[in-house]
Amino acid sequence: MCFSTWASETGTESTFGNIEYSAMLETQWAYGVTKKSNQKFQFIYEPEINIELPNNQKFTMIGRLRGDISDKLEPNNPSQTEISPISRRLLMGDHAELALREFYYEATVGETYLTLGKQQIVWGQADGLKLLDVVNPQDFREFILDNFTRSRIPLWTVNTEIPIHDAVLQLIWIPDQTYHALPESNSLYAFTSPRLVPDVPPGINVNLHPVNKPNRFFADADYGARLMHFVGGWDLTLNYLYHYNDNPVLFRSLISGPQPTITITPRYKRSHLIGGTFSNTFGDFVLRGEVGYSTDRYFLAEHINDSGGVNKSDDFAYVFGLDWSGIENTFLSMQLFQSHLIHHKAEFVRSKVDTTLTSLIRRNFINDTVIAEVLWIHSTNDGDGLVRPKFSYEWQDNIKVWAGMDIFYGNQTGLFGQFSRNDRLIVGIEWGM
Amino acid sequence: MTFKQNLFSQFFLISVSSLMLVNTAVAETNQLSGLEIAQQVNARDEGASVSRNLTMEMIDRRGKKRVRETRGFRKYYGEEKRTMIFYLKPNNVRKTAFLTYDYPQADDDQWLYLPAMRKVRRISSSDRGDYFLGTDFTYEDIKKEGKVGIEDYTWKMIGEEIIDGHHSYIVEAIPINDKVARELGYGKVIYHIDSNIWMVRQTKSWDVRGNELKTINFHDIRQVQDIWTAHMLEVNNHKTGHNTRFLFSDIDYATGVADEIFTQQALRRGL
Repeated sequence: MCFSTWASETGTESTFGNIEYSAMLETQWAYGVTKKSNQKFQFIYEPEINIELPNNQKFTMIGRLRGDISDKLEPNNPSQTEISPISRRLLMGDHAELALREFYYEATVGETYLTLGKQQIVWGQADGLKLLDVVNPQDFREFILDNFTRSRIPLWTVNTEIPIHDAVLQLIWIPDQTYHALPESNSLYAFTSPRLVPDVPPGINVNLHPVNKPNRFFADADYGARLMHFVGGWDLTLNYLYHYNDNPVLFRSLISGPQPTITITPRYKRSHLIGGTFSNTFGDFVLRGEVGYSTDRYFLAEHINDSGGVNKSDDFAYVFGLDWSGIENTFLSMQLFQSHLIHHKAEFVRSKVDTTLTSLIRRNFINDTVIAEVLWIHSTNDGDGLVRPKFSYEWQDNIKVWAGMDIFYGNQTGLFGQFSRNDRLIVGIEWGM
Repeated sequence: MTFKQNLFSQFFLISVSSLMLVNTAVAETNQLSGLEIAQQVNARDEGASVSRNLTMEMIDRRGKKRVRETRGFRKYYGEEKRTMIFYLKPNNVRKTAFLTYDYPQADDDQWLYLPAMRKVRRISSSDRGDYFLGTDFTYEDIKKEGKVGIEDYTWKMIGEEIIDGHHSYIVEAIPINDKVARELGYGKVIYHIDSNIWMVRQTKSWDVRGNELKTINFHDIRQVQDIWTAHMLEVNNHKTGHNTRFLFSDIDYATGVADEIFTQQALRRGL
């Protein structure tokens, strides 16, 4: 079924069925208030083509042309080594790139719904924090400041959804060996926190080996399952994912001598993730959450001699969120995220328990044409965090303008504090075509 | 008989006829309480299922108009009603979708799919007095689709009148308590209900402080596949000066709607 088609509007009768074209054009300018310099002056054009085929078959293609005059988020040409060749962006000089974001075919076979191709699969109930939403890797060119749909890296995936009585079983198979796109050391949002990158003492050379990326089509594929059920007012899922963790493990070794050198060998490691989600309403409140247990996670050790500079532990994590909408046009949301390392040792850089709190207040004005919100993310372990006030206005039916700030605080050793000199003012305009 | 006499006779006849009609209606009214009239409204046939296009026009006090094009589906499962609305245009709200399960004896279950997040969000059903996605209709208005929340109000028939040429009962509905009033956002509602077809033709509502809030007019009421259907709903928000018009088209009660439409999978996939 297609109710507004480009083909029909233009009077073109397509042999492929209804063809629908739409696009989003967006410009963003971010100004670093601490460093007093532009962080980005970016334009994005995202065309989308939907083709409706007989027998409820559909085809979707989403592209992205992105240009950035500043070129500070990914200076020069990023290597894209974490990305499989078939999923890489086409870099056009230092300032522009073209990407096939999504490209998938949908069909119903019997009662099974198939989605085949490059796509995003979103799991979980948490906002802004990822526990089960790890099927697709993420592009960290702007840390976590870009919206998740745009920063999530779509993967070539076989995705099936099979009804089983009142439940739905989703089975996924992902042969695409693409992992997190991590900012390179010369980029604005390069990681420096000792929780993420090893600390190198002065006077020691570093020899960084190329990442050892899995490349076997079948043996290195990720696969997972999600059982979804709505029962007694509860939305419940059970999730399982056997995958390569999208962060490479940085194995280290020290070669002593007159010119001591640390060799870092990044390698991706397998993990089982089993968990579930829930949500339900209680009056004005919505309770939602995620629980997950991951095996064989690797974390940096304080000392290079400790098991290659890394330690292995299972990780038990959960997110509990409570949304409240008791005041008209106002939305309040709080989340508690905790991660417990089951096999924690004293030499871990990370604490045994890691706690992050988030709160969001949003208020809509003038028939939802104006939205004001503040998101606050705070790590209790490091005492650092991020505050994101934002104001948006739907100027025309298809034009939205917005302005906001991203304010980091805390010690530079923290996940958020490492960017405390990257506070920025950001304005944007979005035009739906 | 002169022309004047003829005219007078005709006027007299018409007046007598009108009086007889009103008297008949009054006699009938004496047998119907406000609650019974509300029950008649809710007993009206609205089809086991329906699919339709809905264009939403939102006009602010300066005359600036925003337009949303949607496709909606509704189906009854016994007394349980399921409703789905898919947003088709413009592009910035395209793929947004809203699903509700309306139970007769329990709080509703509601979900909203936000394409920017690619997530289905559970929505508290006690937000029913909140305005629906920028319109002047509340979530409750949307859910009721021209029917009334019998259990939320005490009902009183307070008069009758001719509205748009149709005899109507005027029924006052007062929320049963302050909590319900706050949930609905209404302190009082006056319904004008067509006595022949049991369709609401107009509602006027006041907020919990007693200020005049909204007037909803139901226009272009005609039968589609033997079911009385309002093809245009118009809300004037007296507080904000904002107006909303809902224009229905391509209405189909006969074909039936697949159960798969009313699922979270359909929310995510869209049309």
